[in-house]
Amino acid sequence: MKRTRKVSRRNFLAAAGAAVGAPYLLPSCTLARHGRPGANDRITVAVVGVGGMGGGHLRDFLRRRKRGEVNVAAVCDVDENRLAEAVRISGPGVTPYRDYRYILERKDVDAVLFGTPDHWHGVQTVHAAEMGKHIYVEKPACCTIEEGKAMIDAVNRNKVAVQVGSQGRSQPEAYLAHRYLVNGAIGKIHKVACFHYDSPVDEDPVPNSDPPPELDWDMWLGPLPWRPYNAHGCHGVFRWFLESGGGQIRERGAHVMSCAMYWMGADGTGPVSVEATGTPPHIGLWDSAVTMDVTYEFKNPDWTMTWNQHTGNAVPEEERRPGESPISRPGYGAVYHGDRDTFVHWGGDGGTWAERKCREWEPPPGAKDVYKSPGHKEDWFNGIRTGAKTIMNIEAAVGVANLCILGNLSYILGRKLYWDQEKMEIVGDEQARRMMSRPQRHPYHL
Amino acid sequence: MSVTNQLKGVRVAAGVAAPAAVDEPAVVARVSFHASLHNLLADIQSSHPHVRTTAWQLAGRVGAVAVQPLAKVVDDGEMEVSRAAKRAMWQIVRHVGRPGGDRKEKDAVVNELLVVLNGTKSVPVRREVVRMLSEIGGDESVPAVSSLLSHGDLREDARMTLERIPGEASLQALKNALNSAPKEFKPNLAQSLRARGVKVQGFPCKKLVPTKQTNVKPLAAR
Repeated sequence: MKRTRKVSRRNFLAAAGAAVGAPYLLPSCTLARHGRPGANDRITVAVVGVGGMGGGHLRDFLRRRKRGEVNVAAVCDVDENRLAEAVRISGPGVTPYRDYRYILERKDVDAVLFGTPDHWHGVQTVHAAEMGKHIYVEKPACCTIEEGKAMIDAVNRNKVAVQVGSQGRSQPEAYLAHRYLVNGAIGKIHKVACFHYDSPVDEDPVPNSDPPPELDWDMWLGPLPWRPYNAHGCHGVFRWFLESGGGQIRERGAHVMSCAMYWMGADGTGPVSVEATGTPPHIGLWDSAVTMDVTYEFKNPDWTMTWNQHTGNAVPEEERRPGESPISRPGYGAVYHGDRDTFVHWGGDGGTWAERKCREWEPPPGAKDVYKSPGHKEDWFNGIRTGAKTIMNIEAAVGVANLCILGNLSYILGRKLYWDQEKMEIVGDEQARRMMSRPQRHPYHL
Repeated sequence: MSVTNQLKGVRVAAGVAAPAAVDEPAVVARVSFHASLHNLLADIQSSHPHVRTTAWQLAGRVGAVAVQPLAKVVDDGEMEVSRAAKRAMWQIVRHVGRPGGDRKEKDAVVNELLVVLNGTKSVPVRREVVRMLSEIGGDESVPAVSSLLSHGDLREDARMTLERIPGEASLQALKNALNSAPKEFKPNLAQSLRARGVKVQGFPCKKLVPTKQTNVKPLAAR
């Protein structure tokens, strides 16, 4: 089919796969496969998963729509109530779907944002890449080692821009922290100690039940092995299941360790060993570790990263900021140990806060500068338009997700694991190697 | 004298109270230094959640002899007791799969899992056991798992397990099933064979074919 800049209304409606009223779309460029919108063209986006994080992204896109930055073509959710609400706030011209694969077929959609639970990230990213869509996918990138490899392969083969939602790297104080550390302000860093509070416990468990009528349970599970619906088993609580959200090490560790890998210049590298211990929940459906300690050993250069997840941890007291907005997320972050000094940051996701000495540090003559993100979505848009690697590109994101995966695998198996970064595989442990992948329910597979 | 749970970093002194979790009253965990089936089953069925939790974390040391009794508790027990028993079974599976572990110990656990798989009618228990076999099962597991490819509720789990078990036996089982399976299940089997690197003629991949419609309508233009 010849691709033209304008799509006729009839052809658009046919492609949409749904009966719609008069569309409200402003003109957008219709991309050839692997095409890129020009600098002044609106990017046409769709949002899949419009609950917690996805709903926040949708509202952000709607603000950007008002500013003329994007068109919002479609929203998608397997919960009809959430979908209806998304349609309500989006207004006319936005097509609702239950099945994201309809969106992937649409030629007018340039890019898709996936705000779905973790167990969908790998499959949806691969599918979207194979259909030529640029992708923003929430963190962590993947649930298994195999998914991560498949995502990297699909993205690179199909030359699409991917941003993974570890937006902490794009925060203003993250830039200051990165520059501070890269210039050796605390000396050579030998340890990064990440801190966080406990995972929650399902204290009042309920029996399995039928899913509510508005929820497509089969599609919510997607690639996961089948399990009966439980009211404490979805939506946002997917975070506390090892098979999906994986607990705080994935929920926030993916953010805090993302900053660490970036500031240490360690993207594309991996540990040689991972060892985890933790305490499980004493009751309830959720099974991710409540408290947890993980040690990652890196070689060449040699350094250690730890993940310590304990309420009541001896964590650095949050910095007081008189006259400024306070640190709104003081309970997690990391301490960087150099041979001359230490450095603390709090947060690492929607907010990253750096110690005062870093914020007040003046770069000396000849100091290195580092990339300053224009904003996490802006950085993605730039990747879409120019083909530049994003700040949280798929290789970096998979590397961080692998840290979370390996930490959880070590915890689940109760033993130290050894990792070959070049081959991206666990060595010397047949059971753990089998767990690098997870067969997926038909037809929701890579 | 203390018992270190190497698997979970939990340290429990024999005969004394287990460490209390934050905001929870102290409970007594009856943990023998020589972890025994009797103690495991008693503690798994305790009314104290912390006792159950400590017990399942130590189940690996009890091993194969606990598999069938635990499976029965999974099937019969109250919700949280059933859950603890299931976690105990998984703990045994993860323990025997460790590198350098005793091969006979692992084989014994696999054999016990196969006894459960063949001996119980409970779908939830069999589903769980099939998944356990995907982590430690080998050729010896293939016949029993393959027999479930014709079970309406379990065939998908069986397929996924055969996909994961390495070796020719599981691969051949998938190939055989592709020939004999009902038409609606053949694409599933084709998916597994492709995941195992086999070129499959026919049964085009359906992963990108949308099928589900929404009842939500778009808003009409104002």
